[in-house]
Amino acid sequence: MDELKPIEHVYQSRVRTSVIRLFRWCGAWAATTALMAFGPRFLWSRGSGFTLLAVGLDVVVGIGVILANKHYLDELDELQRKVQLNAMAITLGVAVIAGVPFSVMAAYHIIPFHADIMYLLIVMSLTLAVSNLYGTWRYR
Amino acid sequence: MKNRLKVLRAERDWTQAQLADALDVSRQTINAIETGKFDPSLPLAFRASRLFGLRIEEIFHDPALENDNHSVATSRLGRG
Repeated sequence: MDELKPIEHVYQSRVRTSVIRLFRWCGAWAATTALMAFGPRFLWSRGSGFTLLAVGLDVVVGIGVILANKHYLDELDELQRKVQLNAMAITLGVAVIAGVPFSVMAAYHIIPFHADIMYLLIVMSLTLAVSNLYGTWRYR
Repeated sequence: MKNRLKVLRAERDWTQAQLADALDVSRQTINAIETGKFDPSLPLAFRASRLFGLRIEEIFHDPALENDNHSVATSRLGRG
């Protein structure tokens, strides 16, 4: 039997590190988004410079999320990257295909509520999660 | 594309996890390649080739190409 070097799990630990980093950036982004959304109502008066500051902070942390996500994708192996690419392609398609009619229906008052961007974000998050699970199951 | 990864791994008594670590990929990727659900890239095929000390075509082979070669050989025999 040819001996392999002891298992170092280099790939797994590298991916785990990038996932933790991505989660931290996402947590920070959620916190700055909450600050931006609720700060003007509960923490300071509307229209003050603090709101602009909160928006700027949210954008900067958002860029951090994008870079952390890119770093995470770079760390994945080719199969995992393919699963992610498929999931992102499905998510983008669903966002466009569902988003445009939803917006049109809201404009013509066919649906009884405002077409808030949050609905689209929820649909995109769920689609990405389900597509990822399907991809993982398909190549398990 | 067919491959002999599972056979070569079994001959060396390696687990999928050990092979995955040696090739710097996930265990899921090794499983998907072994079961023919996923074809590896050329760089990964070269890494496997180096690891097993074999040529790429001794590990991975294209059934369509084999069929073509078989057809050519058969037609040549027919003409000869």
